[in-house]
Amino acid sequence: MPILEVKNLVKNFDGLEAVNDVSFTISQGEVLAVIGPSGSGKSTLLRCLTLLEKIDRGTVVFAGKTIIETTAKGQVRYAPEEELRKIRPRLGMVFQSFNLFPHFSVLRNITEAPVHVAGLTEEAAQAIAFELLAKIGLSDKAHAYPYQLSGGQSQRVAIARALAMKPDILFFDEPTSALDPELTGEVLKVIRTLAEEKMTMMVVTHEMGFAYEVADRVLFMDKGQIIEEGNPEQIFRQPTNERTKAFLKNFNYGSRF
Amino acid sequence: MLSFWDSASFFQMLLLLCNGALTTLQVFFLTLLFSLPLGLLITLGRMSPIILINAPIRFFILIMRGTPLILQLIFFYFAPSSMLPEGLKFNLPRFTAAIVAFSLNYAAYFAEIYRGGIESIPRGQYEAAAVLGFTRRQTFFRIILPQVIKRILPPISNEVITLVKDTALVQILGISELFRVARNEANRVFSTVPLFVAGFFYLIMNWVVTKVFEKAEKKLSYYR
Ligand SMILES: Nc1ncnc2c1ncn2[C@@H]1O[C@H](COP(=O)(O)OP(=O)(O)OP(=O)(O)O)[C@@H](O)[C@H]1O
Ligand SMILES: [Mg+2]
Repeated sequence: MPILEVKNLVKNFDGLEAVNDVSFTISQGEVLAVIGPSGSGKSTLLRCLTLLEKIDRGTVVFAGKTIIETTAKGQVRYAPEEELRKIRPRLGMVFQSFNLFPHFSVLRNITEAPVHVAGLTEEAAQAIAFELLAKIGLSDKAHAYPYQLSGGQSQRVAIARALAMKPDILFFDEPTSALDPELTGEVLKVIRTLAEEKMTMMVVTHEMGFAYEVADRVLFMDKGQIIEEGNPEQIFRQPTNERTKAFLKNFNYGSRF
Repeated sequence: MLSFWDSASFFQMLLLLCNGALTTLQVFFLTLLFSLPLGLLITLGRMSPIILINAPIRFFILIMRGTPLILQLIFFYFAPSSMLPEGLKFNLPRFTAAIVAFSLNYAAYFAEIYRGGIESIPRGQYEAAAVLGFTRRQTFFRIILPQVIKRILPPISNEVITLVKDTALVQILGISELFRVARNEANRVFSTVPLFVAGFFYLIMNWVVTKVFEKAEKKLSYYR
């Protein structure tokens, strides 16, 4: 059963159709990579699904529950706020620019939401946080502040912060694009580990090698639409759509290909 | 004239000035007590998307920042007893009127400083909080406001230093604060010395203010 079903999603920015009639599903434990040229609507799609943007049309069913629907008259209806409040933490998001809270230590960045949103005790939240810090290899940074971290470390903390809420799906918007090339590896490694643990993830990325290796399925987006969809083998080796071909020609996949 | 310099009368002058300084300090602390939180309310109204809320607030800020504080003092003292319709007229004690005028005036300035601070916090902070499930209120008080306080300390300290000196304006309502007392003394003994001693008093107060803000800034320097 799919954990997320998206049907005919539309998002306009004053006349511009940033996301134009997009439909797809994500299954439990699946890793979905989203690729496509700049301005194709990848970020906007993620922001709609994490409820950061209000959509203009479409249906979103999450864990069997319709959270957004559109009436026959074209009116968009969101689930009531008290339901959305419960759903938001289940849809985790990792941003390109980390967005860590600079006034909190690494530990508190991770525990703040579990304590004040999920209602965990400080001790329980810290236990989870230390477990996650060990997992991302940053146990020694628990009491550091974000300004003391490298980009790669910051992004790993951001991933831990999202994981601490035990999301059902974790969305990534170009998690390595703000990093120096030598720091992308440590972040991709964490995501790879999560994939092995069958974490459901939707990853917007320009790291084609990574998408090829880790994704179960790849969506290629252009001009607000999903142009082509398939397993990495199909998309990267035998793309059928001309636009996909043209887009992938620009990438050098390195020795892996 | 010469007798002024004997230590007894100098000491007496200091005592008088201290008395005036006490009134000055009252104006200072009461103004801060009311204007700092009021400024936050005003800024929230100013940033409200509802025009029926933000338009009057904008107008209020324009008036408070756009007219002389000394005029506002006179207004709040005389308006209740003269400009209200018959039956609603009342007398506002001069000290109360001074505190009302100062609190509203400084709240308007603080509101604009708060707004600048709030608007300087990147959108990503709100978005990170939203996807973690924080409510708007939690986001503001836990994530945004602490960062705002750090950013606005320097401009706030500027205003507070100005406030110390502005307190001299309440003498227009006949309140015997430090500067008025010093001026009376100066006239009486026919010397400018009391004025300069008063100046020294203001300097000491602002030295303390500066130290307090330095401490606060240092305390918040644990992050960037
Ligand atoms: N808040 C906004 N207001 C107006 N237009 C927007 C806004 N956000 C995005 N857009 C527009 O919507 C389109 C899709 O943008 P989006 O950021 O989703 O693309 P993207 O695929 O993530 O691109 P990139 O690879 O550069 O991150 C672009 O044309 C963009 O200019
Ligand atoms: Mg993007």
